[in-house]
Amino acid sequence: MGEAQLGLPLPPLTLEHWLSVWSYLPTLLQGLSVNLALLGGLLGVGFVLGVIVALLEVYGPRGLRLFAAGYAWVFRSIPEILLLLLMWFGPAQFGLSISPFTAAVLALGLRSSAYQAEIFRGALQAIPTGQTLAARALGFSRLQAIRYVLLPQALRLSLAGWGNEFAVVLKDTTLAYAIGVVEVMRQARYIGSRDFPLTLPAYILVAMLFLVVTYFGLFLLGNVEKRLRIPGLEARR
Amino acid sequence: MLLRVEDLHKRYGKEEVLKGVSFSLEKGETKVIIGPSGTGKSTLLRCINRLTEPDRGRVWLEDVEITSPKVNINRIRAQIGFVFQDFNLFTHLTALDNVRLGLIRVKGMSKKEATARAMEELARVGLADKANAYPAELSGGQQQRVSIARALAMDPKLILFDEPTSALDPELIGEVLAVMEDLAKSGMTMLVVTHEMGFARTVADEIIFMEKGVIVEQGPPEQIFSSPKQPRTAEFLRRITDLYGGAR
Amino acid sequence: MALRRVAMAFLILGVVLSGAAAEKFIVGTDASWAPFEWVSAKGQMLGFDLDVMRMIAVLEGYEIEIQDIAFDSIIPAVIAGKVDIGASGFTITAARAEVVDFSSPYWSSDQTVLVRADSGLNIVTALMPGRKVAAQRGTTGAFWVEDNLIAKGVAVELVLYETYPEAIMDLLAGRVDAVVQDQAPSEQAVRQYPGKLIIVGVIKTYEEFGFLVAKGDPKGILPRIERGMKKLKETGAWDNLVAAYFGNPLGVIEAAWEACISILEVGKDPVAYAACLAQKVKELSK
Repeated sequence: MGEAQLGLPLPPLTLEHWLSVWSYLPTLLQGLSVNLALLGGLLGVGFVLGVIVALLEVYGPRGLRLFAAGYAWVFRSIPEILLLLLMWFGPAQFGLSISPFTAAVLALGLRSSAYQAEIFRGALQAIPTGQTLAARALGFSRLQAIRYVLLPQALRLSLAGWGNEFAVVLKDTTLAYAIGVVEVMRQARYIGSRDFPLTLPAYILVAMLFLVVTYFGLFLLGNVEKRLRIPGLEARR
Repeated sequence: MLLRVEDLHKRYGKEEVLKGVSFSLEKGETKVIIGPSGTGKSTLLRCINRLTEPDRGRVWLEDVEITSPKVNINRIRAQIGFVFQDFNLFTHLTALDNVRLGLIRVKGMSKKEATARAMEELARVGLADKANAYPAELSGGQQQRVSIARALAMDPKLILFDEPTSALDPELIGEVLAVMEDLAKSGMTMLVVTHEMGFARTVADEIIFMEKGVIVEQGPPEQIFSSPKQPRTAEFLRRITDLYGGAR
Repeated sequence: MALRRVAMAFLILGVVLSGAAAEKFIVGTDASWAPFEWVSAKGQMLGFDLDVMRMIAVLEGYEIEIQDIAFDSIIPAVIAGKVDIGASGFTITAARAEVVDFSSPYWSSDQTVLVRADSGLNIVTALMPGRKVAAQRGTTGAFWVEDNLIAKGVAVELVLYETYPEAIMDLLAGRVDAVVQDQAPSEQAVRQYPGKLIIVGVIKTYEEFGFLVAKGDPKGILPRIERGMKKLKETGAWDNLVAAYFGNPLGVIEAAWEACISILEVGKDPVAYAACLAQKVKELSK
């Protein structure tokens, strides 16, 4: 490696290249739908586990707090690609066979849960203690106070951070190809490997698809945030 | 006897905040606790419904011992209203939902029943027209009235007020005190920690003067205000009159 | 006598039931290596390796599911039991044979050295010290560069790629000087970029490709693959398949495959399928 070097220009891309890559759009869209399914699955797994871990970190007894902190540390430290491979090969050691898709949802979901837990933890800790006191004084149990008072506030406060997580993990779904999930990046490579000159146009088309999905996803989340906005309950920065 | 407090002790680290406090409250009675800041008045209130666990001593609500480890404290707290200095309305809920939430989730009322009951109490504190406002859209005085309605809706046997007007701008204090006075007249049992001497004098059946974690003196308002038996009581009343300009 | 008849009935029942339960093996491949395995414009996975797998499955009466995996993950997947058969142009090497079991060789290949047509490089100058030589990660091309050049003091710079087409793109862009790769895919690349790429040399490695399964072949797959290959060769289906897949444009092969595949998948007739494929490719190439 070392010093930057000027490469020869690739054979020029012609209009014909763009037209023929355009004809692959349905294939790419089908691949993208796999990414979106992965995204839905991993955000769901990450949300449920993230909320639980955040609650344990903030309200759990000491032992569970340590466990939750360790959990977040582990899943934030291991590279995604490694988590994917571990989740795919690991269960086979115990005679469990899970499909590449399930393995990808679990691996990326566990990782996302660690990040989502940090978002929710911050939000929970931003809620004044008076809210808990008021709930307990009314006769709410600890769990009820969390369920009806703290979580609804924390989740609203988390929306901005959550939007960021959405944009990050959407891109992570392209890593699932490594364990055999045929998603959009894999489809783009198929195109490139049968039609070498289309490699670059296919990648550019995929990039544009991600731009569009991210734009609409964030737009949608922005609307949700607006609809759920409550005066006096904003993320304090 | 509705409430009996016997020899309550509470210590935070090296400092003993409550050093053996005993008193009782009859049904329909209003007692006002006065005393210098930092003498354990708020801690005393919180020890009564165990938002703070007392180190020693016992509390009874009618014939149930609240301080017994066997008691279901959530059920007890539902019978004891608590009004905070900072209101502590649930930020994410409208006035109506603030009042309604406990009815539905703790008392198990239907939504319809709870709504009717909540509207009744909001009307009682004069805020029926603010039912759909969020706390941040209300003035401090209005927020405190909603929090009183929230306590009232639970149909409590007794309400504890922890300096309910201390966080309010002076011009908003009157509306809250008026609501509390009406409550007292309607026969609600109330235990109030406050610096509002005018309220104490006109509304209380009995005044409890606390200092440094103990009850120094208690008695009817006329007696406490005009001829306190303890020199410390007299000293406190003189200072507070200078500070707050006396009875209103 | 009656007892024997009952036993016979159970035996038949057992055979029928096991047939109904459809024995299924997972075939792992890296579908970016035409003409051995790739994905058609219509999203179908095809190629020489995959058709051999499909035809043997029909002959031997089991089902297969083809799973596309990054090349260097296939052997780990076979070892972990995630995949039953590796069919991805695997060269039989001693190192690999230590961790998996190979079928007998089904293809011989040599390595080729591919350069830009305008580079003026030849087989010697392309592999001189300091040259950037590309190969796909985990392939014998990469191992050859390591073992026969770098380990012997010819300090070329080995650049590894996840897939073969990426190496070709970088060769075209001038970021590497040569690509070392098996013969058939190299010829395919030259067809894709007429006049831009040339093969300057063939390195006689006498490599042989084999299908691979987990060490010890716990599922007893290898004997069935051997038997299948033997049948394919005896019936001439093998030669037809070779004629169809090698030396022809991918678009033509794809069209022929589309037209004939139902003979294999519905008709369950590998011999007729291979004949159809060879015939169609010939027709369409004209």
